[in-house]
Amino acid sequence: MKNRSLIFVIVVIVMSILVTQCAPKPVTEATIPVTEATSPTTAANTPTTEVTTPPEVSRKAIFVYAHPSDLPNLDPARSNSNDSVVTSNCYETLTFYNPPGSTDILSPELATRWESNDDATEWTFYLRKGVTFQDGTTFNADAVKYSISKTKEIGEGSSYIWDPVTEIEVVDAYTVKFKLSYAAPLDLIASTGYGAWIYSPTAYDQQPTEWFNEGNCAGTGPYMIESYERGSRLVMTRFENYWGGWQPGQFEKIIFEIIQDPTILQQKIESGDADFTYRIPPDNIANIKANHQDIVVYTNPSFQNLVGLLNTKKPPLDNPLVRHALSYSFPYEQFIQGVMGERATQARGVVPKGMWGHGDDLFQYSYDFDKAKELLTQAGLPNGGFKLVMTYSSGDLDEQQLGEVWKAELAKLGIELDVQGMTWEAQWDLAKSDPLKAQDIFVMYWWPDLVSPFTFLNAMFHSEKSILWNLDYYSNPKYDQLVDTGNVMAGTDRQQATELFIQAQQILLDDAVSLFFYDLSNTHLARSDVKGFVDNPAYPHVVFVYKLSR
Amino acid sequence: MRWFEYLTRRLLWAILVIISVSIITFTVARVIPSDPAAAWVGSHPTPEQIARARIELELDRPLWVQYYYYARDLLSGNFGTSIHSHQPIASDIRTYLPATMELVLAAMFIAIVIGIPLGVLSGAKKGSILDHLTRLISIAGVSMPTFWLGLLLQLFFFGLLGILPIGARLSNEVALNSPVVKITGFYLIDSAVTGNWVAFKDVLLHLILPSFTLSTYPIGLVIRMTRSSMVEVLNENYILAARVAGIPERTVLFVLALKNAIIPTITVLGLSFVYSLTGAILVEVIFSWAGLGKYTTDAILSIDFPVIVTVTLVITIFYVLINLFLDLIQAAVDPRVSLQ
Repeated sequence: MKNRSLIFVIVVIVMSILVTQCAPKPVTEATIPVTEATSPTTAANTPTTEVTTPPEVSRKAIFVYAHPSDLPNLDPARSNSNDSVVTSNCYETLTFYNPPGSTDILSPELATRWESNDDATEWTFYLRKGVTFQDGTTFNADAVKYSISKTKEIGEGSSYIWDPVTEIEVVDAYTVKFKLSYAAPLDLIASTGYGAWIYSPTAYDQQPTEWFNEGNCAGTGPYMIESYERGSRLVMTRFENYWGGWQPGQFEKIIFEIIQDPTILQQKIESGDADFTYRIPPDNIANIKANHQDIVVYTNPSFQNLVGLLNTKKPPLDNPLVRHALSYSFPYEQFIQGVMGERATQARGVVPKGMWGHGDDLFQYSYDFDKAKELLTQAGLPNGGFKLVMTYSSGDLDEQQLGEVWKAELAKLGIELDVQGMTWEAQWDLAKSDPLKAQDIFVMYWWPDLVSPFTFLNAMFHSEKSILWNLDYYSNPKYDQLVDTGNVMAGTDRQQATELFIQAQQILLDDAVSLFFYDLSNTHLARSDVKGFVDNPAYPHVVFVYKLSR
Repeated sequence: MRWFEYLTRRLLWAILVIISVSIITFTVARVIPSDPAAAWVGSHPTPEQIARARIELELDRPLWVQYYYYARDLLSGNFGTSIHSHQPIASDIRTYLPATMELVLAAMFIAIVIGIPLGVLSGAKKGSILDHLTRLISIAGVSMPTFWLGLLLQLFFFGLLGILPIGARLSNEVALNSPVVKITGFYLIDSAVTGNWVAFKDVLLHLILPSFTLSTYPIGLVIRMTRSSMVEVLNENYILAARVAGIPERTVLFVLALKNAIIPTITVLGLSFVYSLTGAILVEVIFSWAGLGKYTTDAILSIDFPVIVTVTLVITIFYVLINLFLDLIQAAVDPRVSLQ
């Protein structure tokens, strides 16, 4: 009977609806239950509720960011990933790291000025007055102490940047003093895009972490979250009482549209549906540049670079001559032009260009076949005759191609390069085992958690008792001392610190501890009528919409 | 009595299968060489953080103890936490499942509405041009790769004609100015129920291409199944008797014959329903449809094992339950089915 099929269909539909409604409820923290209907915030600045239709805003006043990945965690104490594109517009930090090319490295944000004692173990921040959080709470020293202590207490994400802090003292309503157990550049630490947000104690106390991930924020920043559809779209709207004030031409709303498919991303930016995006396939960029005068392509170095750490403990790479030879054997320019194109620039030293501590005058290896051969001869290996194992992250096409190009070159020197792609865990596990049994060359990307040369120089090259990131197994007390002292100076005398870090990099280059292949470039696309965008690699892919206008 | 026995037996089997799959998925996740503790902590973890995470994730306990906690959590609704987002997976599934369901149901609807009539007519007019054409359509349906078809449709209907959107569930304009109030998570239902016809139309437009792409495989199956059982049934004596008695051909086909021919088709529909859940992965990625498929793809790309394992388990449970349901329906509908 037709009825049976009809009944079947209806039952399936009803069952599906019921099943999705009866899907397991998330386990919430055992604190105050969330009241879904009302927001806990005070009246003045809450965004319009769902029942009323929000007033129509003109398209020009909306900034649409076609974002190529989802937003994992909007909780300001835990946010540690691409969600920073949202948190950076809602929350603020005490200090702000300026984009490359600025005269000063840092500028005031929630702190108007700051100072430390001579050995960078005590820091005092003087706070901005007249700032309120989006929920109406006043911003003051208590809020700063609360936020940072809470982030430390929760201990997730990048909270470890606050490890040196042992005590936070509220000197008065607008002065905070930090006591550290060892010297650290707290002003730099306070500017990071993860784990340094200042958030409203009222909100954070009353709400469980789920509240943030449902689409709410409680910061001091210029925009607040209006609505959030996980995986699809997040809408932000102006915080009218933002301490910076508002000028005509600034954006009223931000829409983050989450789209992973590169075809759709490209269509969105080309049609003007979106005002900003990135992660467009590099092959299409040239086409866009040629045919679209209404799109501006911004390319600049990021703070991420690719290194090839050499195993300094295992023959023949324990011989510096051989390591030098290797450094001259890679066709840097050819590879970057041929394979990477605009996506990379050759690295100079360890610290990427644009970051403080980068040395523009540092020595840079280049491709020199004859020199390589000569060095090998000096080392007693004129015809090579040995094998090297290079590991890289399987699935990364750039690294794979790099291996293949290098293999061809080394073959000319009589060296056999075994290029092995491995999962990250396997690659890391192998490197952390006995150096004599590990790989010869470890290829990986590095990027800073904290914008300081220390993270590059310390992690990968400082001597380690038990191997974590020093996967070249280098141990040089003179180098260690330069880096450690530099780190102390990073807080008190950045000039001096820079000098020490540059000396340290020179040692690494002299000893050819690693190959420094390239600095990865960032490519962002924006509609030409959007003004004021400057890429700031310290905050990857973040657009500070407050600074833009149309 | 026999009914009851049958039901109980099938239920027990279903539970056994689900438990076995949960053991397999759990073991696979633990055995694969990766350090969940390091992944949990994030990039550039310190040894202290890893050690702390290891204890927090209970990775220092024996495997069977870990499974016990895993199973206990599952039963109480705690489906674990995503390594990538540190969010409860259960809440993610709850968010994304309705989107996928809406897509799959729309695809099934299209498959039924197009597939059954075509299958009936093709079976009735066996050997005719219509039959050949329909069989061609059905083979094309099951053979065409979904991602390729999806891209083609986008190119044609969006790129060339510009009459349908390229992807997503809702346009920015509607999301901003006439947002859909979330009740069930099925946007068609939610917008209709609240009288939001602007959104309803927008949702429908966005639904057309992805659901059609997803429906091609079920259409193919449904046509073939309906056609072959129609051919069989139409040879029966009672059909001949009905025709001789002068009953109109439409009634003969769509009432008398179909009611017997439909039974294997119901089975196929049920199976392709679950198949479409996994087929939805590709469609969701191409059309940027924020459902379970896109969620799973992201998890695979970021090697988020808890999510991958949990989604596998959830889909398996669906599969088992649907199979059970189908068998029960079949037993109820078809007196020929023995309950033994």
